[in-house]
Amino acid sequence: MKKSIESIWKNGFLDKETILLPKLNNLSSQKSIHIIDKFKRRFKININALIVFSFIILVISFIVKIQIMGILIFILLNIVAIINKKLLKSLKKIDKNVSSYWYLKSFDTWMQAQIAFNMKMSRYIYPYVTIALSSGFWYSSSFQKALDDLFGGYNPYIIYGIPIYWVIVTLCIVILSTIFGARIYKWDLNLVYGSTLKKLDELIKDMETLRTQ
Amino acid sequence: MSNDFYTSSILPYSGIIIKICRAYTDSQEDFEDYYQEVCLQIWRSKDKFRGDSKWSTWVYRLSLNICLTLMKKKRKTHQYYSTDNIVQNEFTDDKTIFSDENLNLLYEAIKQLSEVDRAVILLYLEEKPNKIIAEIIGTTPNNIGVRISRIKERLKKILNEKIN
Repeated sequence: MKKSIESIWKNGFLDKETILLPKLNNLSSQKSIHIIDKFKRRFKININALIVFSFIILVISFIVKIQIMGILIFILLNIVAIINKKLLKSLKKIDKNVSSYWYLKSFDTWMQAQIAFNMKMSRYIYPYVTIALSSGFWYSSSFQKALDDLFGGYNPYIIYGIPIYWVIVTLCIVILSTIFGARIYKWDLNLVYGSTLKKLDELIKDMETLRTQ
Repeated sequence: MSNDFYTSSILPYSGIIIKICRAYTDSQEDFEDYYQEVCLQIWRSKDKFRGDSKWSTWVYRLSLNICLTLMKKKRKTHQYYSTDNIVQNEFTDDKTIFSDENLNLLYEAIKQLSEVDRAVILLYLEEKPNKIIAEIIGTTPNNIGVRISRIKERLKKILNEKIN
């Protein structure tokens, strides 16, 4: 090579055609697809984790003889998994052949509908879990035995066969979880998807600014 | 991004932005994505420009940093997909990007350098003084001088190997 690198560089770029400007279009398309794909992956993993977890709970409940609780939680987690699988299916239907902005907007609409739906469900899910745990433990002979061992001949206050204090405490938790169910879900949602949702929000805002300028 | 901003503040430096993006990408698709991302980030970060350095120096620095970040992200994504066997051979060899054969060879040689060395030589070839290069890279002008001599030697060696 006789030419110096400086002259190769200089001569190479003498022709203006060498530096063809790429068109600035479909900005951030890759980014939006990446964010949504990341969400889809995590969402799918969480659904599968729910199913696996439901089986683990069921098996453990039979081992420690709290079958009622195990069965109730198993049913609940599988219902939640099935509903979310349906939601995921509807997410896959979002048209990719639109601009990044509309793709993100469609995803955001889906996301908001999904959050609203799950928030409504949470008002029933958390009280249901409380009742499942409470009744599961109450009817468990091993739990009764544990209480006996702990308090030395535990004798609950019962009226017409109903353990009054146990039911009052359960009811209080049920009421509280009904009131705060949606908030607990939001907190849980932010913990798992917070960063993705924040990025999505920023990207949409950015694109909206781009569109208005 | 307004057309005015693009025309007045990015377009005059598009040459160097293109050259930088070319040095850090292996396909036309990636190159266009990097260029778009650099332009978008310059526009987004324009309010952070404090005037400590020249606008052009700031643009070079930002372009380099964005390309380096994108490269790292791309590698991570590539690794992720590769392990999942979803996307294979995502990168295509685009060796004839310029009409000038020697320039293509030079770019191929530059791509064999480390990420920092690529940045140094690109700025040197754009006739930026050592002081400015040092400012952009974050080192001293003396270090840059020594580094440039070594990089040039290495490039010559790679080019000779390619030709022979």
